[in-house]
Amino acid sequence: MKYSFPYLGNVMAYRKLLEMLGHDVVVPPRPTQKTIDLGTKHSPEFACFPYKVLMGNYIEACEKGAEIIVSSGGHGPCRAGFYGELHERTLHQIGYDVEVIIFDSVKRDLKGDISKFMKIKGKNSLAKVIGVARIILTMLRDLDQFDKEIHRIMPYEKVTGTSQKIFERISGEYEKCWTLDEVRKAHSLARDMIASIDVHDVAEEEKIRIGVVGEIFVVIESSINLEIENTLCNLGCEAERSQYVGEWVDHNFFGRGREKEIMKMGSDYIKIIIGGHAKQNVGHIVDYSKRGFDGVVHLMPFACLPELVSQSVIPRISELNGIPVLTLAIDEQTGKANSLTRIEAFVDLIRNSKRKRTSANK
Amino acid sequence: MKIGIPGALLYYYYGPYWVHLFEELGIEVITTQKTDKKTIDRGIGVSVPEICVPIKIYNGHVLRLVDQGVDYVFVPRMVSVEKGKFFCPKFMGLPDMIEHGIPAVRSKLLTLDIQSSTEDITSPKLIYPIAGKLGVSRSEIRRASHSAGRRWKKFRNLCLEGKTIKEAWAELDGAGSPLERSHNSLKIGLLGYVYDVYDEFISMDVTARLRQLGAAVTTFEMIPPKLLKKHVKKMKKSLFWTFSEKLLGAAYSMFREGSVDGVIHITAFGCGPDAFLGKLLEIESEDSGIPFMTVRIDEHTGENHLQTRVEAFVDMLGRKFGKTGERQ
Repeated sequence: MKYSFPYLGNVMAYRKLLEMLGHDVVVPPRPTQKTIDLGTKHSPEFACFPYKVLMGNYIEACEKGAEIIVSSGGHGPCRAGFYGELHERTLHQIGYDVEVIIFDSVKRDLKGDISKFMKIKGKNSLAKVIGVARIILTMLRDLDQFDKEIHRIMPYEKVTGTSQKIFERISGEYEKCWTLDEVRKAHSLARDMIASIDVHDVAEEEKIRIGVVGEIFVVIESSINLEIENTLCNLGCEAERSQYVGEWVDHNFFGRGREKEIMKMGSDYIKIIIGGHAKQNVGHIVDYSKRGFDGVVHLMPFACLPELVSQSVIPRISELNGIPVLTLAIDEQTGKANSLTRIEAFVDLIRNSKRKRTSANK
Repeated sequence: MKIGIPGALLYYYYGPYWVHLFEELGIEVITTQKTDKKTIDRGIGVSVPEICVPIKIYNGHVLRLVDQGVDYVFVPRMVSVEKGKFFCPKFMGLPDMIEHGIPAVRSKLLTLDIQSSTEDITSPKLIYPIAGKLGVSRSEIRRASHSAGRRWKKFRNLCLEGKTIKEAWAELDGAGSPLERSHNSLKIGLLGYVYDVYDEFISMDVTARLRQLGAAVTTFEMIPPKLLKKHVKKMKKSLFWTFSEKLLGAAYSMFREGSVDGVIHITAFGCGPDAFLGKLLEIESEDSGIPFMTVRIDEHTGENHLQTRVEAFVDMLGRKFGKTGERQ
């Protein structure tokens, strides 16, 4: 049986996870306009954008021979909780004989989850599965950390493109790892590589930091979000996202990380959890403002239900916390030039007002 | 004290309870009637552009109430009225959107969480959190919610007898008349949320239009809860929004038991759950062979568009089944 999964973030890790458990793996191609068009064609018109991209992605994976697709889900109230059901039905309707395995809330269907887990576990011993999971998780955490660091350095690099190349090389190093020891070696190698990047000295008051919040899929997957971090870095800003795959795993499986604290900050604006990451996102905006960031880019898929709520309260958060926020709606018709112009203008405004402030203080 | 209840969203389902509850507590209740162009335009002015039409309409009603000088605007946070099921995120964040998005309402917002294990939300416990603001005691709330709850149950029973929400409500107020139905007429299943079907701006009174064409209309609130659950119960994973699941259950019983001649789905532009519900209905209709039509309505939809499509659909069904409407 050939396994596949959605293309989201660092897919190398998912591939490794399944391969180390002895499965045949089909890696879906990185989403392109073709993927999006294909997905749009087979999705309800008003389905959310991530649904459409995944739809296209799954079709492409099926074309390459995938027989089982593994993904995560939810149990509402955000529409993502119903993705799997509808994706599977649609794939069958088109004529692909494929099974979609969705892991969602354990509370809802424990028996089902165990049988799904047993299927993926295969003939491996439980100890081996845990060992493999540890290696993959360490990789994900490391890569998240380097991802963050790279986007702190990128705006100041002397030779444009160095940090991006270094990050790709780091990713390649991790790809070669099969044991925890090798992962540790890759880690120190990566450290050296990052330290070797030549950067300009920039005064602290000249630095601009932008946070990126929004719906998890469009925040993490660079192929559909205009490569938002690189774009911001190219405009001379440091960029940090609110969502990383490793942090997501840490929070959802181990209850680790800052998510609780972030949610508390969000509860002034959205009182209860309303699905998706709306509450976290408004919390992150408050957090970014407390940490001295200069602005926030809010990415939302067109008609994303939870993000419409956060979009509605953002003007007030921005007003009360004194942090500018730019909301960009992303869908299958998003033109690059339009969004780029808006991001550029946003960064220009931030830079000007920051310069004014610093010169007034002198 | 004057409390305003916006005549939009779930007012059409729980209004008979809420209005009576506050009145029993000796509070003057002002409700907004009938959405008009001005209401929706004002709603658009204070909403984010991409949000669905029903929310824009709701915001317009809220502003109308503020104009009328109410002390409070009652905006309940609908969290859950069924175990394991929720509302669309926009319902769950509605008071937040209004508090932070419409400054004129901020000081007048009266909100509470509706979280109940059944669709009967008439428990006084849910109202206690606002007792202080209303200046009433718990025992007064108990008494009022008991009386208002009885009224709401009567209202629901009237619906289950086959009356539309408007008819049931009118009868509750003592103005109802029994329905006459010809047995020869076409049976149309009309699927849509109460705030779409009964908002005269959104649906342009589609029930009346269908009846004029000689069709008998069945909506989800006329179908017994057990029957609504019958088919969705078997699904591996059903929709987790209560009212969407009710619509799906209604549709499954219509399609699978052939209790209607055709099905019309009324949906508002930008409705998220309906995007998924619609897909399921489409698949189901293909399997059953019962004609199905979706009418999507936004703030710019003209009346003629709806009239033409509904007429064409009914004519087509009439020809298919050889039944004639009363008009011919």
